[in-house]
Order: sequence, then C-alpha cells, then structure tokens
Amino acid sequence: MRMVDTGAVQLHTTDLGAGPALVMVHGLLVGSLASWYLTAAPALARTHAVRLYDLRGHGKSARPPIGYDTRTMAGDLAALAADLPGPIDVVGHSYGALVALRFAQAHPTRVRRLSLVEAPLPPSRFADEHDLLAATPDQQLAALPAPLAAAITSGRRPAARLLATLRGLAFDTTLRADLRAEPDVTDAELAAITAPTLCAYGDRSSCLPAGRRLAAALPAGRLAIFSGGHYLHLDARDALAAALVEHHG
Amino acid sequence: MIDTTDRTELLAIVERLIIEIAGDEITLAGPITLATSFNGDLELESIEFVALAEKLQAHFGARIDFVGWISTKELDQIIALTVGELVDFIASAPAA
Repeated sequence: MRMVDTGAVQLHTTDLGAGPALVMVHGLLVGSLASWYLTAAPALARTHAVRLYDLRGHGKSARPPIGYDTRTMAGDLAALAADLPGPIDVVGHSYGALVALRFAQAHPTRVRRLSLVEAPLPPSRFADEHDLLAATPDQQLAALPAPLAAAITSGRRPAARLLATLRGLAFDTTLRADLRAEPDVTDAELAAITAPTLCAYGDRSSCLPAGRRLAAALPAGRLAIFSGGHYLHLDARDALAAALVEHHG
Repeated sequence: MIDTTDRTELLAIVERLIIEIAGDEITLAGPITLATSFNGDLELESIEFVALAEKLQAHFGARIDFVGWISTKELDQIIALTVGELVDFIASAPAA
C-alpha cells in the first residue's frame, strides 16, 4: 500500500499480481479498495497486474471538500493509471463503474476492456435511493448490504468508523450535491465507447434497467445477470469473479 | 532466519503487525491469542485487514500467498477468521 499524489488529491493504492494492467474502482460510501481485494481482485491478479485504490473521500485516501462528480473522479483515475503501460482494463462497481465509464469516454484509446458492475443510470438516482446518506446513523446502518451489516454490527469499532466516514462525506463535502447534479450518460457518448464491455447486474437489483440500456447502447456491450442485488461483488462473489476473469482474459 | 513452524514466534509477529496497523489500544480489551478473531474480538476494519495482509506478504515474502489463500475462503469465513487460523496458514507454507 502506498499514497500517490495526483496533484489534486492524495490517493491510497496497492498493486497485486503481474501481467497486463487492470484497475479496479470501488463503489461510494461503504466501498474501499478492500471491496475488491477481498472479492474478485485475487482471481484477476493471477493473470493481470491489478491496481486497487481508494476513491477520494474513502478508505485511506484524502477527503477533499469538493470533486465527487464522475468527471473529476475519472481524472483521479487517469492520474493514478498514468504510469501503467499500454491500453488498460478497468473494472468498476456502482458509482465506481460510472467513473470507469467516464474514464473510457475521456480516454478511448487508453481502455482495452471494460467491466461495469451495477452502474446506476441515471447517476442521480444513486442519491435518491441510497439511505446511506440519510440523516440518522440507524437509517445509514439499515441501508447497508447484509454481509457488511453483519460484520459491522458484531463490533462497535468498524461501525463507528464507517458512520464517521459516511457523515464526513454527507456533511463535509459536496458529494450529495455532486450526485444530484451528475448528468446522465447520453446514447451518443455510449456509442463512442468501443471497448468490449461486460455489464454485470444482479437479478434483484433496482439498477438492472441501466444494465439493459448500457448493453444495448454500447457497441461492444454485453449484459450478464447474476443472482444477487446491488452489492454483486458480495452477493455473487465467485460467479462475478469468474465472469470478470473470462471477460478480461 | 525465523522458524516458521514455531507458532509462538509467529503469533508474536502477527501481534506486532496488528499493533502497527491498528495501534496499541487494540490490545486494551485483552491479549491477542490464537483464539482471537479479527472481526469479533479485534474489530478490525476490512481495510485494516487488507493492510495486515500486505504487511504479512512483505514480512514473509513470496513464500506465502496470502491473497490466494483469502480468495479460497467464503466471505463469512473471512469475517470469522482467527489469529490461530492465520498462524496455521503461515506455519503450513513451504520453507524458503
């Protein structure tokens, strides 16, 4: 693990494995580089040089007061991946998948293959549907995915830290306003992303319609549906890892 | 050269690395033993657990494949993992 200064923000990152470069982006709020480290990253690291990082405001990265829109965060990703040779593969979950999509749109020749896991569209629906940004700690805890909630409620220390992170993001940054202002991705923008793209969604996720739209609008998009909800890397951990390994070959 | 089959010595190394990551106060509730669980007893955050994994890898080198080991475990097994299971895994790794 190490800290990288992008010029705009200090990001916490780590590398696993060897091979062609692949960067994994976690989801907002409850995510960190541990989200992928403890799920699909080890399988991908058998054939790839996998880079994991904490998004700004998350994990051990710095928490700047602004810049939680996908364009700024795709800029963070570009800076973090600047030293990686050749076209790279990118995997993102939830809002991290939207960051990956913006990165592919801004740097079309930099992306070899893309995986979008549970990307929510339009992006603003994330703010509406996520009680994790709700006012009370109880509401925030109730909105967590079951395995995480079980892990957290069994101990006070991680719960206190997670809730402090959520409150910091909700009240000390522009995150909520940035999410509400986030524009939808247009079909024209999607049509310009030619990298083979796996769109992985859960059969019980409210985001599934976004997967159908992405798979239809992306020239080389393909929808894969797994048994699970929005936190698919936890709900369908092994099946998703296998699909990612196959797609990123 | 450490004897990687000496569980007492391995326990001391793991304890030292845990304290490096989470601070001295992690041991306030009691000493770290082979029966101590990372989640239930130590209350490590997942990102601290990853930091421990990286420190173990740096300490023991390529001889142990901590990431590969974790990937064979179910999430509930990872959550319930004890210091003793980790020590057993390191002790079972082939000698350098």
